[in-house]
Amino acid sequence: MLLKFNIYFLEYKSYLIYSFLLWLMKKNICEAGDYVEISTKDEKFKGCLIPSTNKDIYVLKLDSGYNIGINKNKIKKIIRLKKFSAKKENIGKIVQKKNLRTISILHTGGTLASRVSYETGAVSAKFTAEEILAMFPELKEIANVHSHLVSNMFSEDLRFSHYNLIAKAVQKEVEKGVHGIIITHGTDTMHYTAAALSFILQDLNIPVILVGAQRSSDRGSSDSGLNLLCAANFIVKTNFSGVAICMHESMSDENCLILPGLKTRKLHSSRRDAFKAVNTLPVARVSKQGKVDFISSYEKRSSKKLKLKLINEKLKIGLLKSHPHMYANEIKTYSNFDGLVLEGTGLGHMPINKIDNLTKENEVIYNELSKLSKKIPIVMTTQTLFGLVNMNVYSTGRKLLQAGILGNYTDLLAETAFIKLAWLLSNYNKTEVRGLVNKNLRGEINEKLNKEFLE
Amino acid sequence: METLNYKELGLKAGLEVHFQLDTKEKLFCHCLTNLIERKPDFTIKRFLRPVLSEILEKDIVAEFEESKNRYSIYEAYNNETCLVELDECPPYELNEEALEVALQVAKLLNAKVVDEIQVMRKQVLDYSNTSGFQRSSLIAYNGYIEIKHGRVGIASISLEEDAARKMQEGKEHVVYRLDRLGIPLIEIATKADINNPEQAKEVAAYLGMILNSTGKIKNILGSIRQDVNLSIKNGARTEVKGVQELSLIPLVIKSEISRQLNLIKNGKKIQPEVRAANLDGTTRFLRPLPGASRMYVETDVSQILTKDLVKDIRLPKLIYEQVNELKNKYNLSNELSNEIVKQKIDFEYYHNKYKNIKVGILSGMLIMYKDEPNIINTLDLLNSGKITKDVFDEAIHGNLDLSKTKIDIKKIEDELKKIIEEKPELSVNAIMGILMGKYKGKIEGSKLIELIQKHK
Repeated sequence: MLLKFNIYFLEYKSYLIYSFLLWLMKKNICEAGDYVEISTKDEKFKGCLIPSTNKDIYVLKLDSGYNIGINKNKIKKIIRLKKFSAKKENIGKIVQKKNLRTISILHTGGTLASRVSYETGAVSAKFTAEEILAMFPELKEIANVHSHLVSNMFSEDLRFSHYNLIAKAVQKEVEKGVHGIIITHGTDTMHYTAAALSFILQDLNIPVILVGAQRSSDRGSSDSGLNLLCAANFIVKTNFSGVAICMHESMSDENCLILPGLKTRKLHSSRRDAFKAVNTLPVARVSKQGKVDFISSYEKRSSKKLKLKLINEKLKIGLLKSHPHMYANEIKTYSNFDGLVLEGTGLGHMPINKIDNLTKENEVIYNELSKLSKKIPIVMTTQTLFGLVNMNVYSTGRKLLQAGILGNYTDLLAETAFIKLAWLLSNYNKTEVRGLVNKNLRGEINEKLNKEFLE
Repeated sequence: METLNYKELGLKAGLEVHFQLDTKEKLFCHCLTNLIERKPDFTIKRFLRPVLSEILEKDIVAEFEESKNRYSIYEAYNNETCLVELDECPPYELNEEALEVALQVAKLLNAKVVDEIQVMRKQVLDYSNTSGFQRSSLIAYNGYIEIKHGRVGIASISLEEDAARKMQEGKEHVVYRLDRLGIPLIEIATKADINNPEQAKEVAAYLGMILNSTGKIKNILGSIRQDVNLSIKNGARTEVKGVQELSLIPLVIKSEISRQLNLIKNGKKIQPEVRAANLDGTTRFLRPLPGASRMYVETDVSQILTKDLVKDIRLPKLIYEQVNELKNKYNLSNELSNEIVKQKIDFEYYHNKYKNIKVGILSGMLIMYKDEPNIINTLDLLNSGKITKDVFDEAIHGNLDLSKTKIDIKKIEDELKKIIEEKPELSVNAIMGILMGKYKGKIEGSKLIELIQKHK
């Protein structure tokens, strides 16, 4: 009897200890960054607690530097040995040099500069001028640098409002009289932003260069450094004005290309040289040493006064890719939109012909397109990227023209057409829009295509 | 070198051994794991810059300052290397085949497998990796081995990518070939439980045996690399990198001890440092011992839970077990058994297939000719008695006219009788000489002697 009681008592005692520990953990006494000792049934681990992606796992950075995951249900005890305290950063003050020009860096997202915490292993993006100069000390010899954070997000999350925000930030810097602006940007939709700024920033008289990194800046091999330095060199060494993209020319860290803001597309998901000019040539080549060679003619700096022609943030523009076995419902989806860009096949085609009993749906597609086209502007582009839309070659194209589809004889990239349509609808009435889609306003349309554009 | 009392010296040594895995594909991409001796199809040029930590460490900054104007040329191939080695594409998932070997090794070394594997980036700025870091993950910890000299603890078993292959080094640049980059490596670090040089060699040999038992270790020059770290009383911890030969390990330890003793004797302070092993067993200064490891998480690869994987791990038979089994089952010699295991020959399969060939001969032929394309045909001929072992070499190389092999015993017997009749004075050996010259490959020597003795 006494023995039995003792066992109960022991069990009760261990239960109490267990619940106390559970309570301690639940109270989150130990936080990420703390140096702790974790005990399991037969082992002890010392290390720094790291945020975990799996709720059943504690991640510990051991003294060896390795992270390991430990199952939470194995853990008997966690003791904090040292509370986390962020180390003071040790970054020098910036000295402005009189003989250097000033460049403003506007951050919109993507990480151009990163620091790593060897204690927690966390990587953090850096945005102040001091931090950027610490990462890229060569920049100090090229220009005096200002730095501002406009937004911080993945570029795929950007909306029209962000284009306006960036444009306003550019205007602010222009008014301060800076020599040029670098916009750091996630690469996924960098070419959309470049197109948007090209339209919004009317009479821009300085260079606005978008720079990104295909290989993250938390690796020693990141392309961010060369892209940034080439952009800075291009800004201080030339009299170019306008919006352009500066990225690697090849897989080597040798040259960057300055690419036209309205005619550039990301053509690879990961390579450093993913950005290519489409249906035109790059503006210039900048070497790692800072030598600039112009490849195309360009707009020079002048005394123009910058005006903003913003994009209406409430507009709904669709972007639809033509494909086999389409349904009319795909067109109907856009019935309450303000504009639609089509990525047609070949010269600018859609499946709109009823040939036999199997192609009845195509007739419905055509009817829906014709109906929609009376309501909103629809612009044809080609999903081949290279080459132009010509809807006069096949009967399909002629039928589309009859339905009022715009974009004939243009080589607009679908992304550029999408931005252009939004911008036109924001700044012109409906009749004007239909007239301006096919007109070259900022260099978005090339009327003379050459062989060398696709080599 | 005078005899040293290692106990008195307070020798504490540990080994770090790297084994290159013979998996089909690399650790984070689908390229094959072969080295390529052909000229590269193209090269690219790259500069690295450090990913700084929150506190700008002096050593890493200094290292960068020093290497700022250096660049690397990477030699690549159109088909044999891909965008992952060029750091132009994120890694694929961790190679399952390599992970399986690592888990096998963990079990064989009585180590504890981590619950969740995390791939880390270890920053390296010497251009040996295109990304600027080496991917490495801790698979297991806290194991041990039992050897003649007693128990030695295993601190860690990690799976990591091999570095690119250095082809050339100039003042301003270094040339690396991407063929070796990403080949899986298993790194085994022992605890500092080793206290004499011969024990270190035994540990290395035993680890080699265990790893080779998996059948997944590359067997080429430089595929196994050993580092020794050691300290003695009043000395400092030094790490000696790249001991290529097992037999050099005791010598390296002894010469490093003498170096430290010499410095102590002359009243000099010993610096903790990384040294490199020379071919003669002496060592040379390489760099100061790095501070805290520059490791951070590889965010491009997801974590791996090991619970279910560990359950399915099947352990290979250890090499010495395999050798003993061959010796006992087939009565083969130690040398032949060792060689069969080393060459990964499935002897049981061949033995069942070729029952008429004596095991000694069969094993010999397999060891000598296993890579010949004709091996199966030729063994068939031998097994069916169409050829004899004396002409095996000619047969396997297609230098034997099969229509002329294996003549009627009766015909030889007739000729034999004729010789004995004509020249009865000839000895058995002399007759043997005459007939062997004529019928080599068509009749076994032993059979011929039998015939001669029958008629003489």
